[in-house]
Amino acid sequence: MRILLIEDEQKVSTLVKRGLTAERYAVDVTPDGFEGLEFAEVYPYDLIILDLMLPRVTGSDVLQRIRRKNVFVPVLILTARDSIDDKVKLFELGADDYLTKPFAFAELLMRVKALLRRGPVNRSSTLRVDDLELDRLTQQVKRGGKRVELTAKEYALLEYLMQNAERVLSRNMIIEHVWDQSFDGITNIVDVYVRHLRAKVDEGNTFKMIRTVRGTGYMIRGGSEA
Amino acid sequence: MNRNSLRARVTAFYVAMLAMALIFFSIAVYIGVRAYLTKSLERSLNTTAHSIEADYLAPLEVKGPAWFQAEMSESYPPGISDPFVRIFEAGKVLYDSGDMRDPPVRISDLPHPTTAEGLNDFHRTHSSTGQPLMVYTVAYTSPNGRLILVETGASMEPLQHLLHSLFLILLIATPGILFIAAVGGYMLMARPLRPVVALTEQAEHVGRKQMGERLPIIPSGDELERLSLALNRMIDRLEEALAHNQRFSADASHELRTPLTIIRGELEALLQMPALPAQAMDGISSALEEGDRMSRIVHSLMTISRLDAGGERMEMVPVELASIVRVTLEHMSLLAEEKSIALSCQTDERIYVTGDVMRLKQIVVNLVDNAIKYTPTCGAIAVQLFAERQRAVLIVSDTGIGIPAEALPAVFERFYRTDQARSRVSGGTGLGLAIVKAICGSHDGTLSIESVEGKSTTLRVELPLLQLSQREISDLHSIVVNPQTDRMPSREQVCEKPAEDLIHRKV
Repeated sequence: MRILLIEDEQKVSTLVKRGLTAERYAVDVTPDGFEGLEFAEVYPYDLIILDLMLPRVTGSDVLQRIRRKNVFVPVLILTARDSIDDKVKLFELGADDYLTKPFAFAELLMRVKALLRRGPVNRSSTLRVDDLELDRLTQQVKRGGKRVELTAKEYALLEYLMQNAERVLSRNMIIEHVWDQSFDGITNIVDVYVRHLRAKVDEGNTFKMIRTVRGTGYMIRGGSEA
Repeated sequence: MNRNSLRARVTAFYVAMLAMALIFFSIAVYIGVRAYLTKSLERSLNTTAHSIEADYLAPLEVKGPAWFQAEMSESYPPGISDPFVRIFEAGKVLYDSGDMRDPPVRISDLPHPTTAEGLNDFHRTHSSTGQPLMVYTVAYTSPNGRLILVETGASMEPLQHLLHSLFLILLIATPGILFIAAVGGYMLMARPLRPVVALTEQAEHVGRKQMGERLPIIPSGDELERLSLALNRMIDRLEEALAHNQRFSADASHELRTPLTIIRGELEALLQMPALPAQAMDGISSALEEGDRMSRIVHSLMTISRLDAGGERMEMVPVELASIVRVTLEHMSLLAEEKSIALSCQTDERIYVTGDVMRLKQIVVNLVDNAIKYTPTCGAIAVQLFAERQRAVLIVSDTGIGIPAEALPAVFERFYRTDQARSRVSGGTGLGLAIVKAICGSHDGTLSIESVEGKSTTLRVELPLLQLSQREISDLHSIVVNPQTDRMPSREQVCEKPAEDLIHRKV
């Protein structure tokens, strides 16, 4: 899988390249929009990561030109702005996803993977992590065959964690997915709900599935390989 | 009519001036007319008396009393003569024109004049029936030394009638003129002030949505034209300053976020290193957490600047507040439970406002989050929503630590905190209330606070109430049922929507 990263901030591109390379992606980096366009025309990239604020030419111009040539390549936008204007405009211009700086690398990786997979995520009616089972049709959760009673929010949170099992989810991702942006200001809402969820899912079990990754967020993982 | 409007004040000023002039004029006219009438009555009495002396008394001794009687009866016929005439000699009546008939005045009852009374003098008296009279008495000494008293007199009633009428006319006319002047003046003033009214209305619009519009230039060549030009130049400068501010916000946001991204990335990379000592891990994690908080602060600051500058694009739609409040509280109930705080909610139905759903929710979230933060365990928080005087009122009150009275005015300022240590523990950004205030401002609403230190705090949000017809209400409810409208384009919207719907329906 080959990824093009158009980012003028050298330190950011180094970080992203290092992280993505560690995940076994081939990454080309260019700090210049025009050069980026040339690259995009020559090589068949699987994904383009595009910074919105470039010197010489703006990211939205680059995006427009890419779309004129190649309708299908997924484009992930990195932006330092977060006004709704910008977001709506980006989707109109043909961006597939965006990420607001600063971001957790885990979040970038997840979006990259989602875009490269290019298909629905796990849509099966049953999600399973180890002995924890979530039935999407009946909205029932069982651990080790025993029913776990959850509230609607706890259920949504657990479903999101299980859908992305083994991956770290930042508080921001969880808030935007399970709640919405109006809850942005109060991150401890995630901590409180995770604590409650933990009490219901992990209590009485020797293996604790819901993990805190300090400074980043939460993840759920099975114990079999740990 | 606004009593403080320029139009009313100018009109009032002119009417007052006119009133003073009119009153002065009326008094002068009245006094002048009275003096003139009195003078002419006196002159006529005086003339009559002296012509009697010259024409009839002087030849009396030559022509004899019979001639005198005949002449007098002809010139001053009894009962008809006005003024009346009486002539006496040593207490004996020489001639008497008798009672007057028109107007009827009894003269016969009048005392006879004596030499002791002032001669060549006018005096006022009353007839036995009460009519006012003016009487003039003059003494005539004949060549033979006979002393003859001539008395002429007239009723003052016609004169007084006239004066009374004049008084009435002035009394009615003055306020009448003033009223007409006031109404006319007020209407006339509308004309020169119309451009000012237009300027005001246009000025209200400028800056509400965008600065793009300008005030109408009044091509009158006078002070008003200069005013409109000056105002437009001021708007130009404001627009420039605002644009500068927004550019600054965007730039600052970019400049702060990029280093934050790098710091975060480097720290995350460090954390991935194998066999990291526990202390290093702790330090890096802590730095990451603080970095997180810093990004939240940057995010909130940018939000506030954009809301304040009117640069935030919001989707203003009719919204039913009660359901928003209830759903949001439900989402936050666990936060209150954690601290054993009783969270109660009392909402009136059918309270509609125009607003951005996301931002309205944020008002509730921030107010309730704030209340939970500053209320000790086992306290209580009450949320109320009702309509009052065309305003939708949202009240969030708690039994928390309260805020000292002297600190109240500063509460809505950015980064304000009553207790530094406390909020550090609760991890806030110190911008929650400032954001609520900015949102209220962008929705033409207000935010106010009341607090008793150590006891309670009450925050009150007021938004303009929206009156909807039955039809609009049913339209609105059919939209609200669709959960998609209260979410912004979500990052995972394509693949996650069905699950999301399930949850919403369950809630």
